[in-house]
Amino acid sequence: MHLLASLAVMMEGRQLTKLAPVDVLILVLYFALVVFIGFYAKGKSNTSEDFFLAGREMTAWIAGLSFVSANLGSLELMGWAGAAYQYGILAAHWYWIGAIPAMLFLGIVMMPFYYISKTHSVPGYLQLRFGEGARALSAVSFALMTILMSGVNMYAMALVMKTVLGWNITFSIWVGAGTVALYVMLGGLRSAIINEVLQFVLIWAGAAMIPILGLIEAGGWTKLKAQMAVNLGSTDYTHMWSTLGSFKDNPMGVHWTGIVFGLGFVISFGYWTTDFLVVQRVLSANNLRAAKLAPVIGAAFKMAVPLIVIVPGLLALSVLKNADGSIMHLVPESMAASTGQHSYNEVLPLMLIRYCGPGLLGLGITALIAGFMSGMAGNVSAFSTVWTYDLYGAFINKKASDKHYVAMGRWSTVIGMLVSIATAYLVMGAASIMDYVQELFSFFIAPLFGTVILGMLWKRATKKGGFWGLLAGTASSVGMWLMVSHNPANIRFMILQLHADPDTIMRVQAMAANLYRALWSWVVCVLVTVVVSLFTNATPISELSGLVYGATPIPDDGSKGLFQKPIFWACVVITVFFIVNLIFW
Amino acid sequence: MSERAEISIWFFCGILMLGYGIVLIATGLTEIHHPPPTVLAELQPTLWWGVVLAIFGGFYTVRFRPGKS
Repeated sequence: MHLLASLAVMMEGRQLTKLAPVDVLILVLYFALVVFIGFYAKGKSNTSEDFFLAGREMTAWIAGLSFVSANLGSLELMGWAGAAYQYGILAAHWYWIGAIPAMLFLGIVMMPFYYISKTHSVPGYLQLRFGEGARALSAVSFALMTILMSGVNMYAMALVMKTVLGWNITFSIWVGAGTVALYVMLGGLRSAIINEVLQFVLIWAGAAMIPILGLIEAGGWTKLKAQMAVNLGSTDYTHMWSTLGSFKDNPMGVHWTGIVFGLGFVISFGYWTTDFLVVQRVLSANNLRAAKLAPVIGAAFKMAVPLIVIVPGLLALSVLKNADGSIMHLVPESMAASTGQHSYNEVLPLMLIRYCGPGLLGLGITALIAGFMSGMAGNVSAFSTVWTYDLYGAFINKKASDKHYVAMGRWSTVIGMLVSIATAYLVMGAASIMDYVQELFSFFIAPLFGTVILGMLWKRATKKGGFWGLLAGTASSVGMWLMVSHNPANIRFMILQLHADPDTIMRVQAMAANLYRALWSWVVCVLVTVVVSLFTNATPISELSGLVYGATPIPDDGSKGLFQKPIFWACVVITVFFIVNLIFW
Repeated sequence: MSERAEISIWFFCGILMLGYGIVLIATGLTEIHHPPPTVLAELQPTLWWGVVLAIFGGFYTVRFRPGKS
């Protein structure tokens, strides 16, 4: 409570602006429509298939936009805009190599197995492939992670309200959480998906004016780069790859191996292919072709998101000024609390206020709240599914009626939201929102990816191998985190630089450490899975049908002609991906 | 939601954007002679963005209106 009291004092006098009546009108219109959608969807959410998987009747476009929107919360918008200010264009790696290849891999390679196994969740797939032990471990860690993530999203939204409008942080958390709980409880995944698509459109409508007006003010991209080079005394902030040859050469303190293998392979593939929060959206697709195409559509839109997230952060390095005309310097959250300066995470609201008057400001604020709602709804709907199917239905009450499980889904939505609220208050103590999230990712997601990918692609992987590999990978991740928390210098073992100097050790602490922890925990998971599998009896091929590559005839997805084939569009997206990386090399 | 649904998701998107577009156009018109104290307010961003949203929202509202097969 002492921390809350401090924040309440800090909020006084730090309010950036206030809403005009037209802004309030825009906000009210949004909330009214969201609640209407909740009641509208309630009438269509009577069975568990309806409530947890939206009746499996979504088109590729809807599932694809929902897939990418579930990941586009306030946390994304504010955290990565702040990261772009802090680390430069390197932050865009989390949108491109940290997302696109994995999303395409999910659509083209993994989705057929998820889809034809008719699983209702990722832990559900693990149960089919590796048995109850792997499912329990995965479900518990996932439930924990979604609740923590949901709390992080709440905190992010409360920060927006605090920074921009001076609203009480507790008020923001409870109003936002209450609205999301209402519409997810009423309409389940269907309601969440409708709102996610709506929020995706709204986020673009509300945030696009920042980069457009910012680039006009800066005089275009070329002049922006030149101005940043003058202000920062370095051109490192506008290169994505050329500075990654050494830990010391770039603002993030990361090496290209960390970006390619840690982020681009383990974290990215782990998140986009095994995190049920996003996979659940694709499982709602109405046929196999839609299920394969949805992640490809999502990838195309994901590639454009840096325009509204990364570009504003970069623009702030050039155009954001104090009242006296000097360049404004943003600082870490922990320092901002004591010095009264603005923090990295406030960069997006600061840019919003710079360009947006009444009306546009309301739209931008609504977009940020919509982003928050999207992240919260995604987490809470996924939590309620995994809790109901993979924990409650699997271990507590196996033989209840379908109606009972729907009721449990609704109640777990409310209880999950209450736990998230408690988490939001805990998150306030973290120095950086994004670092916190990265820690969560590497605890659970990286080892899970090792288990799922071996389960799908390697017939010899056994139930015991899957369980012990997942357990060892997760334990090793937590162990590495404790090791570095105990003594930051221990990070030299993770980056394989045993004689790293103190400067390097300090630079890699924030972001790079998480990438390498994910990488090593994945390696541990895979090694343990392989070794244990080879020492245990192989699973009969007949039990692997529909679950493993090589033991499963993949059905035709019904594509007619080149332009209907998901693989064709995946090739188009990956080509554009390479081109944009070369442009910003 | 699928095409079988009574109200398309795209209609929800369209009606919200149309509403916002109209609100922004009205606000933008009042700002022509009283621009807000924001950077580049002289470009009338509220008015022009309102026009863009109204066109986008109007198209989706009409194209996916309830009852249209």
